Amino acid sequence: MSQQVAEPQVAVNINEDYCSRCSICRSLCPFEAITKDAESGKVVLDIEKCQVCGICYSACPAKAIDTIYYDYGSLLKYLKTAKPKYDSDTLVIMCKGSAPDSAGVERLFGVSKFIPLSVPCVGRLPEELLLQAIAMGIKKIYLLACDENYCRFDRGSSLTGRRILALNRLLEQLGYGREAVTLKRNSLKVKVDKDLCIACGNCVFYCPYHAPKLESPGGISFDLDACRGCGLCVAICPAIALDLDNWERERISTLISQLLSEMRAPKILVFRCQWAVFPPLDEESSPNIRAIDLPCAGRVDAFHLLEAFQKGADGVLIAACPEEDCRQEGVSAKAQHWVEALKQRLGQIGFGDRLHFCFVARRHPEQMDKELRQFGQKIEAIVSERGRK
Amino acid sequence: MIVTSLKPLDEILDSISPYSKILIAGCDGCTQPPRGLREAKTLSQLLELAGKLKGKDMQFKVTTVVKQCDSFLTASALKSQMDGVEAVLSLACGAGPQTVAEIFPDIPVLPAQNSHFVGAEDREGGILEDRCSACGDCILALTGGICPVTRCAKGLLNGACGGARNGKCEMDPERDCAWELIYKRLERLGKLDLLKEFRSPRNYQAKAWRLTP
Repeated sequence: MSQQVAEPQVAVNINEDYCSRCSICRSLCPFEAITKDAESGKVVLDIEKCQVCGICYSACPAKAIDTIYYDYGSLLKYLKTAKPKYDSDTLVIMCKGSAPDSAGVERLFGVSKFIPLSVPCVGRLPEELLLQAIAMGIKKIYLLACDENYCRFDRGSSLTGRRILALNRLLEQLGYGREAVTLKRNSLKVKVDKDLCIACGNCVFYCPYHAPKLESPGGISFDLDACRGCGLCVAICPAIALDLDNWERERISTLISQLLSEMRAPKILVFRCQWAVFPPLDEESSPNIRAIDLPCAGRVDAFHLLEAFQKGADGVLIAACPEEDCRQEGVSAKAQHWVEALKQRLGQIGFGDRLHFCFVARRHPEQMDKELRQFGQKIEAIVSERGRK
Repeated sequence: MIVTSLKPLDEILDSISPYSKILIAGCDGCTQPPRGLREAKTLSQLLELAGKLKGKDMQFKVTTVVKQCDSFLTASALKSQMDGVEAVLSLACGAGPQTVAEIFPDIPVLPAQNSHFVGAEDREGGILEDRCSACGDCILALTGGICPVTRCAKGLLNGACGGARNGKCEMDPERDCAWELIYKRLERLGKLDLLKEFRSPRNYQAKAWRLTP
């Protein structure tokens, strides 16, 4: 991560030379980021409105849209190396928003040996990738998308449903059977331990989706259809009565231990909102840095931040989406508030500088690089200062 | 609710410094913000980190009590947890540590909180404010549900004093004049005639120190 960043990369770009001006991308973009210039007739992308979902990329019939994240080439490259590595002819593609751990995949699909591929929104996958995977000898593809009303990119999940329907018909005609590709929907949901709940009402107050309701007499119930699995309530529950299905507290703790044990000092552990940073499939980070992707910055828990320090992290960085990009109705700003409160407490014991919260936008990948570089330098200085003492 | 704030960590560290096995006891009761299991756990992590920095090894157990001011509930929650515990660090208001101290006379109990007032919470505004002085002689029925004993800086029973400027108290321009609030509320309720009534001096003996439930 110490390399110098030259030109800022453009996350998504419409290549005018190839564009046929058919406007399919414009009709599918959930964020009205693509418009047609009235005078010139050109299809134009406003990158500041773009949420980098990749739906336009996968839909463009002229292949005129470029993206630096999970494009056809890099996905194919991943499949080529992953197939022998995992030694399996079953591919499980998961939207990050709903991705469980391998035990969860086994529960959902009944497969224990598979090639995992997790992308931010399955709506960004071009059909030819799935066809290419089958051509490579993959016998079965499972796709795990979020529930339609839960899709962070509004249309990604429903669009995928339609595509898979058409694709399976095509594959059937080609003799690959009726269900070469199976789509399931799964969304992260909160779970409550009613024995621990103290009916304080914090989750009721903070939930952006009005999922929890106070029952009388004292207790709480959740409308799971309304819950969108951001994990905010889990991170603030004073009684530790809540957890996130498939993203349990324990799973994060285990990851913290595992990552810190394989790192070299000075160790920087990064908690990323999985929508703020889109890491490359072959992400190579320096031995000083490891990252944990969380369903939302709202799931960033004071426990886990302190646990990281207890287990030997020299610095902890939290990367969240800027408020205007947050797909969870202002949760990232709330996360900032709580992290700053913890930072104030850490300051009292001389650890304040080692915790850093930042907003980074996936459309500007250089922002994360910059934050990481600056924080890395700061931590290095703190550690060497301590070494001198 | 009883409104408290966490003591500076330095002060807590100082008070627990003679001990190495410490039980942090939260309170799920009325303390606000809630000082339950999460707060206990977070505090134990912070203190452990601070201890490590100073080369001191401290072991923390964390637990919580439904209401730490209730001797029955506290005894039943804590008795099984006291094995090897050298001191209890309490996250409750001032009543909690005293209850624990009475139940376990041989174990030092240390407060982690400063208690401030019997207050109300405005969650939208993120504010906790003093509302009740527990005077034992409630006159809210006469004052439109606004307590002058607590909220008037002078504690006047027959206000206003005349010192308010733009609805704010002359003692503290940040603070609303309680008697202006009372006037407006009674006006709204159509009960301004209540202000004609003279309220005789408060019965200070009514502030009881012991009651039977």
